[in-house]
Amino acid sequence: MKTNRCSILLILIFYTICLTQAKIINKNVERSLDISTQLVKELTKITATNSDGKPISVYTFIVPAADRKNLAFIAARDENKKELKYTEKVVDGNHQFSIAFPKSTATEVFTIEAVYTKKLIPHPSQIPQSGKQLVRYEGNLYLNSLYETKSQKLSVLLSSANILSYTQTKPFNVASNKIKYGPYENIEALSNQSLVIHYENERPFLTTTRLERIIEVSHWGNIAVKENLYMEHTGALLKGSFSRYEFQKDARSGHAIKSYKTILPASASDVYYRDTNGNISTSNMKVMRDFVELELRPRFPLFGGWKTHYTLGYNIPSFEYLFNAGDNYQLKMRLIDHIYNDMVIDEAEIKIILPEGVSNIEITTPYPVKRLPNEVHYTYLDTVGRPVIIMSSKNLVENHIANFNLKYSFSKITLLQEPLLVVAFFFIIFIIAIISIRLDFSISTTHSHKD
Amino acid sequence: MNHSPGLVSRRSVGYKSLITFTVLLIAWLAGFSSRLFAVIRFESIIHEFDPWFNYRATGYMVQHGFYKFLNWFDERAWYPLGRIVGGTVYPGLMITSGCIHYILHTLNIPIHIRDICVFLAPIFSGLTSISTYLLTSELWSRGAGLFAASFIAIVPGYISRSVAGSYDNEGIAIFALQFTYFLWVRSLKTGSVFWSAGAALSYFYMVSAWGGYVFITNLIPLHVFVLLLMGRYSERILTSYSTFYILGLLLSMQIPFVGFQPIRTSEHMAALGIFVLLLIIAVLRHLQSVLSRSEYRKIYLFGVIAAAVIVFTGVVILTVLGVIAPWSGRFYSLWDTGYAKIHIPIIASVSEHQPTTWFSFFFDLHILACSFPVGIWYCIKNVNDERVFVILYAISAVYFAGVMVRLMLTLTPVVCILAGIAFSNLFEVFLKEDNNSNTFAHKTISYVEDHDDNSMEKKNLYDKAGKVKFRPKHDTLHETRSGIGSNLKSVIILAILMILMMFAVHCTWVTSNAYSSPSIVLAFHNNQDGSRNILDDFREAYYWLSQNTDDNARIMSWWDYGYQIAGMANRTTLVDNNTWNNSHIALVGKAMSSTEEKSYEIMTSLDVDYVLVIFGGVIGYSGDDINKFLWMVRIAEGEHPKDIKESDYFTDRGEFRIDSEGAPALLNCLMYKLSYYRFGELKLDYRGPAGYDRTRNAIIGNKDFELTYLEEAYTTEHWLVRIYRVKKPNEFNRPSLKLSERILTPTNYITKKNPKRRKGYIRSRPTVIKGKRTKKLQ
Repeated sequence: MKTNRCSILLILIFYTICLTQAKIINKNVERSLDISTQLVKELTKITATNSDGKPISVYTFIVPAADRKNLAFIAARDENKKELKYTEKVVDGNHQFSIAFPKSTATEVFTIEAVYTKKLIPHPSQIPQSGKQLVRYEGNLYLNSLYETKSQKLSVLLSSANILSYTQTKPFNVASNKIKYGPYENIEALSNQSLVIHYENERPFLTTTRLERIIEVSHWGNIAVKENLYMEHTGALLKGSFSRYEFQKDARSGHAIKSYKTILPASASDVYYRDTNGNISTSNMKVMRDFVELELRPRFPLFGGWKTHYTLGYNIPSFEYLFNAGDNYQLKMRLIDHIYNDMVIDEAEIKIILPEGVSNIEITTPYPVKRLPNEVHYTYLDTVGRPVIIMSSKNLVENHIANFNLKYSFSKITLLQEPLLVVAFFFIIFIIAIISIRLDFSISTTHSHKD
Repeated sequence: MNHSPGLVSRRSVGYKSLITFTVLLIAWLAGFSSRLFAVIRFESIIHEFDPWFNYRATGYMVQHGFYKFLNWFDERAWYPLGRIVGGTVYPGLMITSGCIHYILHTLNIPIHIRDICVFLAPIFSGLTSISTYLLTSELWSRGAGLFAASFIAIVPGYISRSVAGSYDNEGIAIFALQFTYFLWVRSLKTGSVFWSAGAALSYFYMVSAWGGYVFITNLIPLHVFVLLLMGRYSERILTSYSTFYILGLLLSMQIPFVGFQPIRTSEHMAALGIFVLLLIIAVLRHLQSVLSRSEYRKIYLFGVIAAAVIVFTGVVILTVLGVIAPWSGRFYSLWDTGYAKIHIPIIASVSEHQPTTWFSFFFDLHILACSFPVGIWYCIKNVNDERVFVILYAISAVYFAGVMVRLMLTLTPVVCILAGIAFSNLFEVFLKEDNNSNTFAHKTISYVEDHDDNSMEKKNLYDKAGKVKFRPKHDTLHETRSGIGSNLKSVIILAILMILMMFAVHCTWVTSNAYSSPSIVLAFHNNQDGSRNILDDFREAYYWLSQNTDDNARIMSWWDYGYQIAGMANRTTLVDNNTWNNSHIALVGKAMSSTEEKSYEIMTSLDVDYVLVIFGGVIGYSGDDINKFLWMVRIAEGEHPKDIKESDYFTDRGEFRIDSEGAPALLNCLMYKLSYYRFGELKLDYRGPAGYDRTRNAIIGNKDFELTYLEEAYTTEHWLVRIYRVKKPNEFNRPSLKLSERILTPTNYITKKNPKRRKGYIRSRPTVIKGKRTKKLQ
């Protein structure tokens, strides 16, 4: 009975929402699509009005189900660049993002930023070493919208002027590496017109297939960060053989990834870059004013389909990231950090190792992540072990670089435990030595030999 | 203590142990730190070839446990044969570092197994110097022991095998060797079962660590035998040798790799023979006490002769019957330096198995090489049971070191012992009187110098206080010299100190320049700006293999690189540095020295996916595969004399040339093609010609060729390592066969083509005539 009533109520609410929303129209939509890198960055500026003049409380933005797995990041902002909250649900195979406006007016102007990964498909999928990497973008020329759109424009930014083919729906205009579509007037809701662009994209298609980030907090003033990275070139595969001669002759060798830059915090020190075979000697570190730039060169250039794996680690002083009030501490650090520009992380696991004897752990993350059960880690002079907080997340991009907030309590006296342990150990050793030297354990008296 | 009053002597005991402790500690530290050049210049990394296998095996043991390790069948080596690792290694090294790892990890000290492996040899060098100290002080005096300990801590002959990262059996085996000898000498002196059981245990550790245990198992019986010849038989010898032999025999048979060898191979028969001989002599001695003199003489002669005959014929018969294996080839090569070159080219191809040059004696031992005969002389002059041992040790080790460069390692400890004795005596003679003035002078000098001199200076102090045993002999010497005065003495002392200082400098220099290169990372100094460049091509290639080839890919390379590929790339190899199967290596050698076509057959029969060659022509690296190529040919010729002939690879004038005048067999073999593929187009500098090989200083002879059956998969930055993928049969267009090479000769086929003899003839076939309708068959 109760559930029935509830569901009826929900349906009613849903209908009223639909009814109110039906009156919303997109007065003007300006989309810009940046497909110059391996990512698809879509920035949509929507001017929505309510035709009956009532304030808009909720606007629903939709992403087709096929695109949802590629969608790494989505955020809505109002005119003042203030973040708007949204909730996600699935209706008719589409993912609806319902954006709520805190101060609803009849006309709302806002932008939606969406970043998609793996939407640019190399075509052909295999190229020889000297070949150029061509990719295809497939999408919708119009805004996927539940509402009717009065006028919309789309500008596409490509990485080069070498465009093999593109959808030619008038009006459009091509200028070097830019294509401008529109304005298109009075587009029905949920209309779909395919947009296909086949062009040259020589930007690195590098994916971090797995990232293991370990943050080890020490209350002696240091935070050690260690990242295990598994990289793969996910662009067009290398066809045929690799030739060192060609590679040396033609220094350009477009799609091969020779090096990339990682940006570390300004106070990073003792940086190491190694793999299972030891140190990788081909890296350069530049210390800038507010960051450290690390130019990493893998042991070998990465061609399509080639993989590599390495470990990057550094130390940072804890006073910049760890704050306390009495015995209550707060750690504020980046959940993931920069690896290379326009990065894609398929899978990330973040481990935070806290000192021994920490209690009341409480973590807030900037975006939802999967929390795995805590583990215990043992290192130098540990007795009961250190708590390890483990989180994992998938499909991350640069926009996900944000701080987490970890609160815990820790009594400072515990710091003395480890030095005391060492002192006690040596004390006992010496005592044993002193006693054993003074005792005679021999079963018979030793007699000196004669020469 | 005849010149020091009781008060001083009681105090001097404390000083003595303090000085001993300090000197040994300093020796340990100095030995440890002088082995760290490679770690400081490069990184904490495993060096060279064999250590990579040991490291991999240790890693396996740490990961899977000891019993799994003993049963480990490594299917990644010797494809398709595989290798039973547990039964073919000396596990002592792995167990040692595995134990350290285990202990540290139970104490929650998370040290990576690689770091333990890297630093194991330097740490054991400290233990070696302590056991050398113990051995020398048993043999001579504690002062000499301190000298010997300081010498062995830094002597290049030992450092060459024990730098950080050189994770090899020898690193711990020298410690075990010295310690076994110490315990043996101690047990011989005391005749105590305790010490000889200790010697057997230490021998057990040595057996588990290194194949060189055969040296112990022959030297100790030899010692006993010589003592018997010298008429120095005693109950002590009987007790200690029989305890040592029986316990050592039983313990050594516990190592799976050794197994029943101690009772079934000729190498171990000497120990058994001496054991039997010793027992017979003991019985005769006993009879002597029972029987009358004349009776005894008869029995004695008869007994000794009968025993010798029985033992000898027994061994010979057993050898003939095949119960006892005859001497192995490696053993013969110790006596005849030309043996390996003729019969076992694979042993001769290793540079460390070459006879030692005079230069390397000086290089590895410096002043010790000159001073250790003095030590022998002192030992012979004042011979006793245990000094016989060190004399035999020295003589046999000198001989073996002359045969093989590698065995310099067994010579080094005894050289240090004897040189320690020599220097200790020198100082005893020249420092004994005029303590105050002399020691003061030396103190100031030696503080400026290295620790070694420091330690030696302290030893002098100690020598004066404690060691007066040999004083009477030199008293006469001293008497005559006292007339010359203290000035001459101090000049001599200064000269000796100077020599020792130069020794320390030389040791450091040799260690730093010759023995501290990891050999998988090469460094060179840029002449223009003096900057240091690193060539990391080996790891680049191995890492590429590990990341970008199939996990089960099989890689063919010359055996030198087998362990490294397995260790760093974790891929299956065909042959590796454990050269147990000569014919398999010869097959790889044959593939490398045949034409591409023929080697493709070999490669497909061995399921090879990738071929790896080392090519130094771009950077002038001399240890590459073309320079090793003649060994491949020779080894291949040994097994396949019909297909491969060494003379084919030389020019008519007998030269090995890679330029256009080179032998055609060489210019078309697989190794040549893989090394020089597309190298003919490469210009190393603007003015030079294309295809100029810097290692051999020649323009290559065969420039324009394409590979049919292989394709370049990866070449490292400096072309040092080149990896080729073997194409699958469907991936290439088979080159058309020449008419003469076809098995089904086309002429044969044509002649048989007449209507009657045609194959597959249908009897009632309708004849078709053009333009006419065929008759329908009913």
